[in-house]
Amino acid sequence: MPTYILRRLLLMIPTLFGITLVVFTVMAASPGGISAQTLIEGQGLEPEARKALEDYYNRLYGLDDPAPVQYLRWLNNVSPLGFEFDAEGDVSGFGFKDANLGTSFRYGRPVTDLLAERIPITLLLNALTVPLIYVIAIAIGVHAATQRGKTFDVGSSVSMLTLWSIPTMLAGVLMIGFFASDQHWHWFPTAGLSRREALDMPFLPHWGALGDVLLLFVSALAGAAMLVLAARRLAVPYRALLMAVIGGGLGVAMAFAHAGSPGVLYVLLPLLLAATGAGIAWMDYVGLRVAFMGSIGLLIGAGLAVRFGGGTFVPGFLLDRLWHLVLPVICLSYGSFAFLAKLTRTAVLENLLADYARTARAKGVAEQQVLWRHVFRNSLLPLITVFASLLPGLLAGSVIVEQIFSIDGMGKLAVEAVKNRDRELVLSITLISGLLTLFGYLVADLLYAAADPRVSYD
Amino acid sequence: MERQFTIKDLILFATLGVLILLLLLAMYMVDRQWLKLAEMERSLNEQAQDMRALRGSLGELEQRVRFGQVGSVVQEEPNLDQGDAFARAYAVSRYPDYAEGDWVVTAFGTGLETLTPLVSSDAYSSQVQSHVLESLLIRDPETLEWVGLLAKSWQVSEDGLSFIFQLRDNARFSDGTPVTAQDVVFTFDFIMTPSINAPRERAYYNKIENVTATGTHEVVFRFKEPYFNALSLAGGLAVMPSHFYGPYLDKPEGFNQSKGLLLGSGPYRLADPENWTPDQGMVELERNPRYWGRVPPPYERIIWRVIENDSARLTTFRNGDIDTYAARPLEYQRLLDDRELMQRTQHFEYLSPVAGYSYIAWNHGDADNASLFSDARVREAMTYLTDRSRLIDEVFLGYAELAVSPFNPRSKQHDPSLQPRPFDIGRAKALLKQAGYEDHDGDGVIENTQGEPFAFELTYFQDSEDTKRMVLLLKDIYARAGVLLKPRPTEWAVMIDALKKRDFDAITLGWTSGLETDIYQIFHSSQIEGQADNFIGYRNAKLDELIVQARSMVDEGARMPLWQAAERILYEDQPYTFLMRRKSLVFIDRRFRNIEKTRMGLNFDMLPIETYVPTAEQKYTR
Repeated sequence: MPTYILRRLLLMIPTLFGITLVVFTVMAASPGGISAQTLIEGQGLEPEARKALEDYYNRLYGLDDPAPVQYLRWLNNVSPLGFEFDAEGDVSGFGFKDANLGTSFRYGRPVTDLLAERIPITLLLNALTVPLIYVIAIAIGVHAATQRGKTFDVGSSVSMLTLWSIPTMLAGVLMIGFFASDQHWHWFPTAGLSRREALDMPFLPHWGALGDVLLLFVSALAGAAMLVLAARRLAVPYRALLMAVIGGGLGVAMAFAHAGSPGVLYVLLPLLLAATGAGIAWMDYVGLRVAFMGSIGLLIGAGLAVRFGGGTFVPGFLLDRLWHLVLPVICLSYGSFAFLAKLTRTAVLENLLADYARTARAKGVAEQQVLWRHVFRNSLLPLITVFASLLPGLLAGSVIVEQIFSIDGMGKLAVEAVKNRDRELVLSITLISGLLTLFGYLVADLLYAAADPRVSYD
Repeated sequence: MERQFTIKDLILFATLGVLILLLLLAMYMVDRQWLKLAEMERSLNEQAQDMRALRGSLGELEQRVRFGQVGSVVQEEPNLDQGDAFARAYAVSRYPDYAEGDWVVTAFGTGLETLTPLVSSDAYSSQVQSHVLESLLIRDPETLEWVGLLAKSWQVSEDGLSFIFQLRDNARFSDGTPVTAQDVVFTFDFIMTPSINAPRERAYYNKIENVTATGTHEVVFRFKEPYFNALSLAGGLAVMPSHFYGPYLDKPEGFNQSKGLLLGSGPYRLADPENWTPDQGMVELERNPRYWGRVPPPYERIIWRVIENDSARLTTFRNGDIDTYAARPLEYQRLLDDRELMQRTQHFEYLSPVAGYSYIAWNHGDADNASLFSDARVREAMTYLTDRSRLIDEVFLGYAELAVSPFNPRSKQHDPSLQPRPFDIGRAKALLKQAGYEDHDGDGVIENTQGEPFAFELTYFQDSEDTKRMVLLLKDIYARAGVLLKPRPTEWAVMIDALKKRDFDAITLGWTSGLETDIYQIFHSSQIEGQADNFIGYRNAKLDELIVQARSMVDEGARMPLWQAAERILYEDQPYTFLMRRKSLVFIDRRFRNIEKTRMGLNFDMLPIETYVPTAEQKYTR
């Protein structure tokens, strides 16, 4: 195993070398190319200013050298082992030195600084999104497979396919238009990561009186507990009726909250929500039903407490940040979990019909044990494969979502870098994402071995 | 026997997890409180410092009173005050409902890279800097005359090469240090230091030979040669504090790579002048409590949020979370019909004198290979063919003004007797026929005598929706005269490349302009060589001479006829077909008062600030 890992690690070097070479060549050969002139944006410059600026850039980045020389210089800069130069540009030594990703043309700042600014934001988004994707995908996918051909399977397939085919930019703009606008429901903020006011707030939320906190907790917990109980114990028609009533009530409340309130809303919204509620309650998938109804109960309880509790409440920096993240995280996750749920369903289904599953059932293993111990573990392989491509995605960010919600993440940085022909930045980002992709593949390969004893690298 | 994982374990682990999470969050919260404490300590220190200074000057006064010097120290100073920069703001502050307080929250369409002066190059950061840094002189928005801001008076030497400024003695930077002549000298020297990343400014100020301090509050700018814009060059220099930026002369990298080194004498300041970073997603300026001007700035804070997505910006404005919104023509018309929005906002259409003009530039080619457009008759015909009023009506919905020349029609540079050429297809055809283009084979396209059709490519920037519509409309109009236009949408870098290599037939772009526009770099024949801005290769010896004369003529009365003569030559020759000047269309929240259009544009962005929010309508009061 260690030799295998070492071999893979060493193999990464030529691959990365190739990646940067290709990217560099493409950038150098792009129409317009990269030269001091392209760096000087706009035209409101007097000729002397233009000349001075060009000379300055040429001196700083060596843009007037032939492209191979520029590439070798860049390579020397990023490698921890290489030539060192003195102030006059003569070689002063060879050996280990500080690796340096260079200075961005456009921002005039070290690339590492720029990355250090953007990476935490992208990581925050992805740290929330990725677990959400996996939990939902596995919960739905596995159950759909066991219910093959029944209502749940067909229903979830249709809705997953629908979700998967909605483009993110459309969903993002629609969500801002409907749920972040005074014209409809102004529940969420339109852009950014926190409100100006939140910067002056303490980090954690706090309340004017201890009684309010108690009220909030008690009512939220009571709401959740009641609906969880209902979800577990009540017979189908009763709980469907209960949820339909709750949905209808929420619909009426929503219609009242709508600014314009065209009359049709008062009919349509309650009907729609009542149908959704009843549908959820009707589901015979206990886990999903409990989770859904429990969180609805929690929200209703908390909502009532806030509505009737009175007193002062400061949301604090943390809640404000989370509140800003709701819409972006929904946008980032719905497509992925839809795709992943379909994938999980297929994989689990294939193994459920396999001989070993039948054998396990025949020898008397409980159905749940068969599913999670045997079948699920064998179905993990496709999920691991997807994970390999998720790792670079973690840092790459999503351009579209970042653009729509004005979040300064890696995706936007990368696209702007390409647009501006910011060579050092593009090369650094491709270098990093290349590295992460290769690492992702390596980790996936190792995980295969962990999940499947048949796979071995010795 | 393997122990089973039970619900009890789950609860235990969940509780432990929640506890650890809470602990982490609590630690984070304490950390934030420390930061807040440090901030408060800083402002307390500042106040203590001010108190000490005040006590010192009080003591001095007491000494003088004791020795009976009072009364004799009032010097007979000649009243040198040339105009009062605060006159308009002061008049406004006398209004009955005038009130200080409230915030202004606006949005930028792109993120900022840096706020450090000289290093930053975009319009957004200079907008922020204009609230923090001040120059010696500013223009009065109505008379357009220069009035003193940091300078109380100024004189010009006999030869017109030296400009002497007397600074105000009460001006202070926002950290309490007085503004002296030394700071002005420092600013110039700092810009001229080669290791500072300011090549743009260095070339701009290259006409100044030196700047010297002749007293603590007197400074002299000496120019190398007479230059018509000398006063604006010297007076417009934004003064940077030497004690703040001085240390960076030793470590220029620290300055060149900085993101937010911004401190000045202006009415607003950064809460932390050294550590602003772009990842905050906004710029926030607070009122400078030590502002020296006689009218304190009304708003407590000015905030610029970064919202890139257009529809998100509009929604945020509708929600009332930002106070201004600049609309495109189509959008503007649609929003005017929105009753709810109209109740909450006021809207303005205005023509900013510095907004510039758009044009189609015809490539003249060079001596070896003349192009289609090297013949002045062809260019004149193209201007007759370009139905500019229709473009304005249909593409820009009338929110633009026809351009005759590079000079602003309201400036003295413009000769009012020049009328724009109307759309006249008959005259265009006649002119083209004179130039040798006629439809010989009856296919609807005109040809020259060799039978080559009159066809050319029009290069334009692909990402601009309005320009795209304009080019397609032009294509149809030109086709009626048998002229073939092939649209060539291009990406910005490629477009710059095409300009550089002179590789285009015709190109449509815009230039920004100043209050007095210098056309040297665009039309002087010396600017053809070396990839400079006369990219169409236009040569006219008469015009060259006029431009050079006008530029070195310091006397305005003698300069304006020269510009007008130059304008007439451009009008005859039509090296460009000048298209239009576009209006700015903005919505502003209704709570702001006294917003008006001035000759410099809308006064909402101007300094000293002359708008305010009455107390009853203030939105962000504590």
